[in-house]
Amino acid sequence: MRKLFAAALTSVLALAHTSAFAETDASVRDIVKKAELASYYAGDDGRTEARMLIVDAQGRKQTRQFTILRRDRADGGEQDLMVFFSRPADVRDTVFRVIKRTDADDDRWLYLPGLDLVKRISAGDKRTSFVGSNFFYEDVSGRNTELDDFQLVEETDSLYRLGATPKDPSSVEFSRYVVEIDKTTFIPMQIEFFDSQDRLYRKVQALKVETIQGYPTVTYSRIEDLLNGGATEMQFRHIKYNLGLPEDIFSERSLRTPPRQWLELGQ
Amino acid sequence: MKQNHSVKKLVAAILLTASGSWAANALAQEETDLWADAWEEDETPAAPWLHGFIEQAAGVRLQNSDYNKETSVMDSRVRLEASHYWQRWNFAAKGDLYYDGVLDKWRDELREASAQTSFSRFDVKLGRQILTWGTGDYIFLNDFFPKDWQSFFAGRQDEYLKAPSDAIKFSHFTSIINFDLVWTPEFDPDNYINGDYFSFFDRSQGATAAPSFYADAPNDDEWALRFYRNFGSSEFALYGYDGFFKSPNAIDQQGRYTFSRLQSLGASWRQPLLKGIFNVETAYYLSADDTHGDNPAIGNSQWRLLVGYEQELVTRLTGSVQFYLEQTQDYQALLANSPAANLEPEENRTVVTTRLTWRNQNDKLTLGLFLFYSPSDHDSYWRPTASYRFNDQWQLSGGVNWFEGRDKHTFFGQFEENNNLYARVRYSF
Repeated sequence: MRKLFAAALTSVLALAHTSAFAETDASVRDIVKKAELASYYAGDDGRTEARMLIVDAQGRKQTRQFTILRRDRADGGEQDLMVFFSRPADVRDTVFRVIKRTDADDDRWLYLPGLDLVKRISAGDKRTSFVGSNFFYEDVSGRNTELDDFQLVEETDSLYRLGATPKDPSSVEFSRYVVEIDKTTFIPMQIEFFDSQDRLYRKVQALKVETIQGYPTVTYSRIEDLLNGGATEMQFRHIKYNLGLPEDIFSERSLRTPPRQWLELGQ
Repeated sequence: MKQNHSVKKLVAAILLTASGSWAANALAQEETDLWADAWEEDETPAAPWLHGFIEQAAGVRLQNSDYNKETSVMDSRVRLEASHYWQRWNFAAKGDLYYDGVLDKWRDELREASAQTSFSRFDVKLGRQILTWGTGDYIFLNDFFPKDWQSFFAGRQDEYLKAPSDAIKFSHFTSIINFDLVWTPEFDPDNYINGDYFSFFDRSQGATAAPSFYADAPNDDEWALRFYRNFGSSEFALYGYDGFFKSPNAIDQQGRYTFSRLQSLGASWRQPLLKGIFNVETAYYLSADDTHGDNPAIGNSQWRLLVGYEQELVTRLTGSVQFYLEQTQDYQALLANSPAANLEPEENRTVVTTRLTWRNQNDKLTLGLFLFYSPSDHDSYWRPTASYRFNDQWQLSGGVNWFEGRDKHTFFGQFEENNNLYARVRYSF
């Protein structure tokens, strides 16, 4: 009952917001699109090494280390992604391949080296743990901005603060989130997620942004689970854009035989 | 004799503990470095890498067996893995050394010893390697690379379902079609159920037995071929094979088990459907030594068909279902010539499988249930599993292998005296 009331209240508020900021809708969409391009589409392609430190509520640590190759089929549109794991030992040489689609479910494959098996993964809930971390699959690949409604809450000298509500609340675990977007780089610097009781339970922060080949890039980020405890930090290094990654390396061949020349250090 | 066994077990235990603390020390060192300011630079391709795990597995039968020990699996295992890149060649080796407490002896298994190189649109991989293709889940139609059924039924880790091949794999990639050719100079059979760990229905005796036999393997080569390509999200493949049935399917003139010749053609198709993944695969098995199906000592030709679907049912719970048909060709000729027609398989052997997999929120706990059920044979095989990953090093797994059947001679029914419960603890480094 309380849930229903909250939902009703939320939609009323959302409506109020929509009408109040009706004249800025176009520019809000514009900010969101720019933020999406800045976060997930820098350059035509890219390569980075990444590592995660996952700390649970009891302070126990896990790590992940991997290299990501990305190639955009269209700016803001379809993308090819491959994630090559090097740590820890039990996932070493595992490869994750994704074709990110905008009008259909993503295509996903997992290569398990012990079995030489190319396993196709069915489209699942994207808001579940990415390789055991506090990051969701959707945090890494990018949430489709068409799934949420955005309103400009505040504009300061340095940032836009946007409020977002899901168009289909039953498909997600949050009721709303607030994102702060840097006005010069359009990088989202902080995202705060609120649950159905409007408790702040999940917070994503960009801790360090560096400009690489002219593209502002998050090189250090943190996500915190504020209700259950636990956090994950992610760092990136050896980032390169516009490498001219060939289309054909995003294939089954690279699952079994990783494209060494594009993965090596200091590329 | 008994004392001797205890000594061996003790040695295995010491070895396990010693390598465990060595690995733990090495890792403690590594962990401090890992999240220090500087990234480790030790993954330069020129440096060889040593990885692996140590594992203890133990399993017991859940009923008395007239043929085998109460212990169904008892492995104290060390795995070492290393790879090295040199002059455009990647060299990889993976090997296991373990004390097998069921057979009471030390065993070793070299799982990989390969050299691989690429030049433009070609890849070549030579040597011992694990090979897999096809779309089935625990059901293989066009994958003729060796399987280890003993490990599968004993509850060893899934990886051990695949036994290594000594082969040359040649691959060619084009924008129109991709092509794999695998030549195995000497036939690599499955690690079939032979009585060492599990009893089975011995057709040559017409009774359940555990004779610990080794079938006479032909000294001949095998060829396996795959053409494949994707159209959008759809994956298509064509397969060919020329070799031998991978598990003993024939009895020679001296009454010994052997492998008869097999030629196969097949195809598969896999693509997203609704909220999940749909796959269909088929293969025609030509029993080349018995093309008319009238020799009862040799298995007949078969037509095989598999249809599968997998979907996430609710968040973190995935379900899948497969329908499998194995149609024996020239069935009347088989019955007419068989000395024991009542023990022959059904003309249309059908199997339905279901898989449920659930993961907890932080991905540490995985629960699974895989079920094979055959409506035609009235038998089934249940595989509940549980696995908990404590951290990057320690993992605990366990499960049950449970066989049910109306008859003693059907595919799963024959293993009814081998139901077992197992647990494994693994330390990875």
